[in-house]
Amino acid sequence: MSSSADSGRPQLRQALGLRTVISTSTGLAFAAIEYLAAAGLVAYVAGDSGWISILVASLLALLAWGFFGELNGMFPTAAAIRLYMQRAMPDSVALTITFTYMATILLVIAADAFIVGTALAHAFGEPAWVSGLWIAGLLGIAVVGNLRGVVVAGRIQDLATVLVIAVTIVVGIVALTTSHRAFVTPWSPLHGHGAMGFVQSVALGVFLFSAFEWVTTSAEEVTRPAHIHRGMFASVLILAVVASVITVGMSHTLDHAQLGSAYPQLYLGRVAFGHVGLLLMTVVTALTALNTFNGGFITASRFIYGTAREGSLPRQLAALNDRAVPWIPVVALGGISLVVSLVVALTHAWQVLVAVGAALEAMIYAVAAYCTLVLRRRLPEHPRPFRVAGVEILAVVGIVVFAVLALSASLSVDNHVNPLPLILIAVGAMASAAYVGAVLPRMRAAEAARRAATPKRRPPRPAAPDSVSDVSPVDPAS
Amino acid sequence: MASTDEIIEAYGEWQSRSNANDRLRKMLRGWDRVVIIETTDTRERLTIAVVDQTLSDIVVGAPEVVDLVVTGTSEDFCDMFWGDLNPSEKYISGEIVIHGAQADVMRLDAMSMVAFLDQ
Repeated sequence: MSSSADSGRPQLRQALGLRTVISTSTGLAFAAIEYLAAAGLVAYVAGDSGWISILVASLLALLAWGFFGELNGMFPTAAAIRLYMQRAMPDSVALTITFTYMATILLVIAADAFIVGTALAHAFGEPAWVSGLWIAGLLGIAVVGNLRGVVVAGRIQDLATVLVIAVTIVVGIVALTTSHRAFVTPWSPLHGHGAMGFVQSVALGVFLFSAFEWVTTSAEEVTRPAHIHRGMFASVLILAVVASVITVGMSHTLDHAQLGSAYPQLYLGRVAFGHVGLLLMTVVTALTALNTFNGGFITASRFIYGTAREGSLPRQLAALNDRAVPWIPVVALGGISLVVSLVVALTHAWQVLVAVGAALEAMIYAVAAYCTLVLRRRLPEHPRPFRVAGVEILAVVGIVVFAVLALSASLSVDNHVNPLPLILIAVGAMASAAYVGAVLPRMRAAEAARRAATPKRRPPRPAAPDSVSDVSPVDPAS
Repeated sequence: MASTDEIIEAYGEWQSRSNANDRLRKMLRGWDRVVIIETTDTRERLTIAVVDQTLSDIVVGAPEVVDLVVTGTSEDFCDMFWGDLNPSEKYISGEIVIHGAQADVMRLDAMSMVAFLDQ
């Protein structure tokens, strides 16, 4: 046994290696909504040139990777987003942005439930309304599993991610090679399209990488801290390859109606391997939900729990069940996701979800760039195991580019000007700001008063005998 | 700075409260873990363990393989064990640092909350 903290740190019994970090980062990013975003991207550029948008988006994702790598190195904890935002901007602004950003997790869970439910109903030849039952069933399983404290083991997560990525790449390549058609304008994304269309396609391309950074919440459980930024880097490269393959595969082999459907990946599977391919892609789509539901529910519910424990959300949200699971956030997430999924199923507005997600993700990348820049100035001496080179320039580029992409994504749906995503984001941001500005100060004041009125349990420390003579006599009258 | 004896005394309070709390014992079912308390100011390591839903006595020193490492000041640990400090606040402000699986971190915080339900 070592009794001094100066001797070597004990080893963790369960620690994540680089492979699991890569699979977690990739698995969190590769949700079922990737397929719809890839199919949506195709509408904004000419022919088979979607890969160029993905290439540009992957370079931008690498820029974001640099910012998250530096910030995570400074604050290697699951609470990193709170720590670096608190230090870079007023807490009220940081909380407003964080609450709005958390909506992305809700959107991805809802989108995955909708996509998987719809894909299963289609694969089994069931009428469209049955997808509603699938959605409710999937979310029900996710909620019950979370309430019972079920966590998908790292190895299963690794396996699921490898299967999803490998099968998707194989299906995309086989679909391309069996089509026996020449590529259409693969080098000219602007052919017959405007520059704004290309910007929009890049915004959707950035969305294909969204959530790769959520793996930073695992910073406390890795064998080596460097695994986080190395794992994120590898994940961005893997996502760039798979996103390029499915985007070009879809643009090259699917017609407009198939691209606009809620399950373009099933059509891609059918092009590659017939009905077997369709079923294969159904299984793959369902597998993506494993990572999304596992990671999404845990990340969001634990964040809500932590924020409630910190005193920034009502204390009731920190209530735990007998398995130490914050049950109110889990049930609320499941319920709200179900409502959003069913609304999307009824309105066929999945591309609105994609646009909102793309805009929010670009927004948080701009915020990460801002925090990196500001903290270089405010905390110049803070240890940085990983540093972005040329941050003064790259951070400004990041802020401007990601802000433009966020705005572009929020003003267009399915290649048509549509302010609905912007309106939804603005409503969410205003609700967050109203809560942070009006409700939270009262709640914090009440909590401070309650604590002040609670007597301390810790007994006062007795004065040291040799220091008694040093204390000035106190006038009893005072 | 709090001495090791003060931390041990404070832990004794936490231990007795936790072990007497039926709900908390239920929460700890199947959660046998070894946790290291590492003080940044007094450079001390102490080990606590959860075995069969019961908190063990605290031991000075640390084994080579553990489940969780919690790092903070001796004063914060004392206040936390007495139930005067909400560890989540210190964690989110970065003053308490934890290494270990997220699920274990969550369970540890749950222990401190349920042991002092009026927090």
